Amino acid sequence: MSGQGTPVLDRFLSGIADLLKTRDGAQLQDFLQIEPPLSDVYHQMAGELQRHYPNGSAKEEDLLRICDGLVPRTKGGSSWTAFPTFMKLYFSFLRDMNVENLLETYNLLKALLNQCVLALGDGQFGVIVLPTVLYLSKVLAKLAMGLDRRPDLIAHLLRIEGQSSQDDSVEKVTLVEKSANVVREAFIKCLTDRSVGTPGIQGKPGGKRIGIYLMANLCLKLLFQCGKLRNAEQMFASISAQSPPLKHFPASQRVTYLYYLGRYLFSNNLFFPAQTALQAAYDQCHHQALAQKRIILTYLIPCNIIMGRFPSAQLLQKPESQGLAEKFLPICRLIVRGDYIAFRDHLSENSPSTEWFARKGILLALRNRCEILAWRSLVRKVFIHGGFHGDPQGQGQRGPPPVLYLTKLEIAVRWLQSQHASSEAGAFTQSGLSTDAQAGHNHAGSQLVSKPPDSDFAGLHNVIFEETGVDQAIVAKFEDYLAPGGCFDSAGQWHNNLQGNLVDGPPHVDYGQYELDPYAHRNDAAVIPGSGKPTEMMRELESILASLLTQGLMRGYLTHRNPRFAIPGARLRGALPTGFPNVWQTISTREGEDDSVPGWVQPPAPAVATSLGASAAAGGRVVNLSGARPVGVQ
Amino acid sequence: MSNPTQPQDKTEPTQQPQQQKPPVLEEDDEFEDFPVEDWSQEETEQAANGTNSHLWEESWDDDDAAEDFSKQLKEELKKVEASH
Repeated sequence: MSGQGTPVLDRFLSGIADLLKTRDGAQLQDFLQIEPPLSDVYHQMAGELQRHYPNGSAKEEDLLRICDGLVPRTKGGSSWTAFPTFMKLYFSFLRDMNVENLLETYNLLKALLNQCVLALGDGQFGVIVLPTVLYLSKVLAKLAMGLDRRPDLIAHLLRIEGQSSQDDSVEKVTLVEKSANVVREAFIKCLTDRSVGTPGIQGKPGGKRIGIYLMANLCLKLLFQCGKLRNAEQMFASISAQSPPLKHFPASQRVTYLYYLGRYLFSNNLFFPAQTALQAAYDQCHHQALAQKRIILTYLIPCNIIMGRFPSAQLLQKPESQGLAEKFLPICRLIVRGDYIAFRDHLSENSPSTEWFARKGILLALRNRCEILAWRSLVRKVFIHGGFHGDPQGQGQRGPPPVLYLTKLEIAVRWLQSQHASSEAGAFTQSGLSTDAQAGHNHAGSQLVSKPPDSDFAGLHNVIFEETGVDQAIVAKFEDYLAPGGCFDSAGQWHNNLQGNLVDGPPHVDYGQYELDPYAHRNDAAVIPGSGKPTEMMRELESILASLLTQGLMRGYLTHRNPRFAIPGARLRGALPTGFPNVWQTISTREGEDDSVPGWVQPPAPAVATSLGASAAAGGRVVNLSGARPVGVQ
Repeated sequence: MSNPTQPQDKTEPTQQPQQQKPPVLEEDDEFEDFPVEDWSQEETEQAANGTNSHLWEESWDDDDAAEDFSKQLKEELKKVEASH
């Protein structure tokens, strides 16, 4: 076929030609090995290529011509031109591969995959190279992720190429992201294949469409690795619009996809659909796949905690949960206790607990979403011990509803702050003094939580505006206006002012109004004991309670003038269940109205009830009417 | 054998030298490929768990007045009320 002196190459080529005739994609992939250690025949073939078709020689044209002969002839000549080019690149790769230069290897491999994806695009023959595309994608992903973790391996090469970090204005595209972009091309080819079966979300997968989730999962893995989740958005949208139902694909692909989809939804604060996807991934996972089950739980558990559902002892005792209890149970305990300061401390920047959560990408979600649950517990406890629970004797009569005076809550918060601030508060504090505990003394801003001052406004309250005389502080601050380097007089003549005189004379106006002040008003004047005016802290507590009411995590109403939380309609069920409904049931009832998960293609409606995914999704949902508001409730 | 160039040794997964994981990474940071492609419903976690599995606690509100935090809170509220 090719000529003299290349027996191994000749046999290899004839083998490839046979496989193309029989359309044996799996075997073709098996032939096209690239990953070291390669068996002897590949080294022999590489040797033949180096001798007979050296890099850069005119002989390379011959090699391409030989590869042209591999493609099955159709009427009017072959149209699958991408494949011979791919084969030529494959031979070049084998011939030139230099594992000493991993950056070059990466680039060659990426080009090889790129060409293979082009070959995949052929409507008639493309499907034959699908296994090869998957194989090359996996090797490329492995190499890119390996280099991502060990940048020292190619740092010297990047320096030589001048790509290291010279231009910070251009967004760096990492090797991992570049790989994801190539793999996404393959994914699109699979998704949009119209050669076999019914296209769209009705049909069963056939042709290249069997590769949809294989390619999607690999692409998602790379996108998660390089932190470019935004790039996944279009992928999920395309899948929703064009993919066959997920249930038609093998379990490993389903579980992997639902895991990544769940994590994506979690990252976008869509916790309920994330929970549905992750729970289905966990349920459908092979029961012996401990490592995978563990990673799924790493996200499924916080997802549930955020929505008010805690992992059971049974779940935490499973082998895949090893070590997860010590991570998540402290958070659950702090939520139950209602100690919002300890909760914030536990997940604060300085806490040793946070590193693990941060690395898993769940720290901010837990910190921002669960604090309100701790507040709910605190209000609930204050109501239990300091609220008016209604008159149990007055069943038949219309008595006042159960009510909590919010001054009680303020007392509780101040007590909590003092407990954390005092050094004897060992029972509550884990690590030294809490900054939130000092918040009650803040001059401006929150009385409940501590925020580091914005550097733009630092030192602001030290500026004192003098009523009389020329305030040097003001002159210094507004110098460019009060004493500019020159000005025009009334006749339009320019006068230099090199001495820095006050061109308009001493300033009389109050420059306070030109100050930037982030606070609507200051606390110092507001807190007047015995004045009957609500404190700043009270106003802040009211807003927290209003948030709890808006989210349905508490039920009743607030009065503002004499701050109270009242729970009407509690006669039947009691004040506590009425005023503080179950968090998970409230959220799941509300969110469960729409049980579809974006990105998860389900079979058309009638079959939904029998689908594995749907039944798993419905498993955790309790349908009840507790979400319906009693008559007469605002 | 019609395809003499077919690779023989495919038993061991290939490991490139640069793939060594640095020690800072936990081994479970990455979602590994499953060793098998497909499995039946009987082999799933859902089937292994059975129908009476109890994975999640929905009711966790703490009504235990004897618990330390609640006890101290109660005393504090009483104390302040008495002083008014």
